Amino acid sequence: MGSALKKWKLPMIMLGPFVALIFLFFFLPVVLIVILAFTNMDSAMRWEFAGLANFQKMLEDPNLFKIMKNTALYVGFTLLINVCFGFVLGILTTYYIQKEPVSLVFRTIWMLPRMSPPVVYVLLWLWFFDPSEYGVLNSLRALFHMEPVAWLHEHPMTAIILANGIIGASFGMIIFSSAIKSIPKDLFYAASVDGASQWSIIKDIIIPAVRWPLMFVTIWQFLSLITSYEYIFLLTNGGPLFESEVLALYSFHKAFQNFEFGYGSAISLVLVIIALIFSFMMWKWFGMQKMMRSSKIE
Amino acid sequence: MKKMRKRIAILLSALLMAMGVLSGCGKSDSSSESEGNGKIVTIKAQTIGAEVTRVENLKKAAEKLNQELKEQGKDIQVKVETSSFDGSTDEYAKQFMLAFRSKKAPDIYTTGHENIGWLADGNYILPLDELKQSKAYTDVFPPLWEAATYKGHIWGALQDTEARPVFYNKDVLRKLGWSEEEINSLPEKVKNGEFTLEDMTKVAEEAVKKGLVPYGIIHRPVEGPDFHVMVYNFGGTLYDPKENKIVLDKTAVKKQLDYYDEIAQKKLIPKNLTQMEWSNIHKTVVNGKALFYYGGIWNVFNWGQDNFHEKLGKVDEKWVNEHLGMMLIPAAEKGGKPITLSHPFVYTVSAQTKHPELVKRLLELVADPALQAKHDVETFHLPVTKNVLDDPTFKANQTLNSVAYMTNYTTFLPNHNGFPQYSKAIFNAIQAVELGKKTPEQALQDLETQLKNDLGDQLKIVE
Repeated sequence: MGSALKKWKLPMIMLGPFVALIFLFFFLPVVLIVILAFTNMDSAMRWEFAGLANFQKMLEDPNLFKIMKNTALYVGFTLLINVCFGFVLGILTTYYIQKEPVSLVFRTIWMLPRMSPPVVYVLLWLWFFDPSEYGVLNSLRALFHMEPVAWLHEHPMTAIILANGIIGASFGMIIFSSAIKSIPKDLFYAASVDGASQWSIIKDIIIPAVRWPLMFVTIWQFLSLITSYEYIFLLTNGGPLFESEVLALYSFHKAFQNFEFGYGSAISLVLVIIALIFSFMMWKWFGMQKMMRSSKIE
Repeated sequence: MKKMRKRIAILLSALLMAMGVLSGCGKSDSSSESEGNGKIVTIKAQTIGAEVTRVENLKKAAEKLNQELKEQGKDIQVKVETSSFDGSTDEYAKQFMLAFRSKKAPDIYTTGHENIGWLADGNYILPLDELKQSKAYTDVFPPLWEAATYKGHIWGALQDTEARPVFYNKDVLRKLGWSEEEINSLPEKVKNGEFTLEDMTKVAEEAVKKGLVPYGIIHRPVEGPDFHVMVYNFGGTLYDPKENKIVLDKTAVKKQLDYYDEIAQKKLIPKNLTQMEWSNIHKTVVNGKALFYYGGIWNVFNWGQDNFHEKLGKVDEKWVNEHLGMMLIPAAEKGGKPITLSHPFVYTVSAQTKHPELVKRLLELVADPALQAKHDVETFHLPVTKNVLDDPTFKANQTLNSVAYMTNYTTFLPNHNGFPQYSKAIFNAIQAVELGKKTPEQALQDLETQLKNDLGDQLKIVE
């Protein structure tokens, strides 16, 4: 007994606070969402069991199809920018710019939006898309004597995809940069001696080496995008009408604007299920089993 | 920028609220303490917005109450602590729910009357039926009690009311060739049903065509009470008190949507009106860029608070009366009755208050005509009791006196707890029609589906 306690004492001290935090802030909210999704809790905040009523309501919700479509578009395109652009930045700052101080400056610039608070970042985009003639995009149009455009109202989805895509790319850039840097230099030298083209180096050396980070970035960013809404909320608030409303924001609006806590939770529960299914699919698709084997490079 | 600030506040309050739901409990504040020669009872009162006289008047009422308590030989002194919430009405409601759950709700929660439905249903507030019989409220304008009634009980002490007139730009009408006599008699013509909604649209069209103003008509940019008055104007209803259900009056709502479609199609309103900032609405009106504005009498107060006028900055009541006139919303049909909508504010009493009797006495004293008149004149609102009309301070105010008659033409929103959802759905339909994304027919069809989904058996559809 005493030896077992001695053995587990340190791990318990080290892990205890984090396990408690995970339970409190990750596990408990999911349990709460599941329970709330089966109640009709409204502004009176009473826990009244409502069976599957919220899910039936969801099936009949006239806005849900549009919102699902928006969510797919938003997550799909933003993820594409996050991963592809992050990858391009990673190659650019490690393979093409070999001088570390230069690439460091470059990476730092791309990290700036991530370091600034979301409100400040969104303020810059609001200024960029401002509907008056003083907005950045409209000032450029004015040079060609073109009328100002209300960008956020006419192209809300493009705006939210761009804003989220660009800030998200820096995350992929950091992960991919470190993965590319860990590729032994000999492989690049050997490829140069053999007269391999640039494309061949990227295709046959870099991409296979970053497969694992690629999967990590894709899954991580997917999960972040499907559940986050703060940039959309600050930029367009899902409008005009439901043009840029996504599922996570809809859940927020239903719960905290219409005070339909039960229905809002049911929508969140659907989000949790979608996220789980997608994570499982990605796990399979990227061939997790193969990746767990030891690296061929080393 | 204001929208941004609001959204940040929404995010933060939602976070706090989620924490409140999680915790569900908290220590309650002690609201009485002993000091020197008597027990001090602290009563907390909260309001929203810049009209702080709503709660400051309670402090004045407390002075009177303390005097009375002293005369009665009671060893109690009342102290009123006031606060004003800076944010949207949604956030204001949320923070009250949160405060209530953590047992820190203010004793007096000042709010728009339409909130008493959900406040009463959620057992957040106490019924105040005895106030109707109280001497202080004997000469309330009779229709106003309707606004404080829900399920047969009174749930709020009436605080103030207002008029929601249509402001018209006198300078533009002058340029259109109207004589001073014609301009000044317009409110009377509207009152008599001679000048209809259709006439208003025609004049707006003429002014825009002649290039006198960029916009013929402008209305509020966000969801709110003003839009629903059109349902009443087109002969419809919003609520069935017998069945306690929200009514979707399809014929009246179709006419309502047709109206907003017409003014948008004729390009009388700004292209993206429903996405404009409030400050830009005020600037448009004050700088003479719109002929008609569906506003509120308290806007006169707003225009004196901020620099909306490009050259003059803040404009006073005198300036407003020289350049703008106020009329009822014209009747939909010739000879019909014009209309307006009032949105009385009420003092509600938290179900958690430890001093209900003292709070009720305070609410009787705050109805004092002099206190009401002070609030009304300072913030451009109308009184709830008739005796204020004789108060010298109120009598001296030209603007308020010129719109006091509008109380006779007023209507109210229903107090049903599902009304906020109805209101949001209607606003979405109007927005879709104005942006040209849907025809009125499509918008009505989608609205019906939406409301059936949102309200379920709380909805009654009238063809």
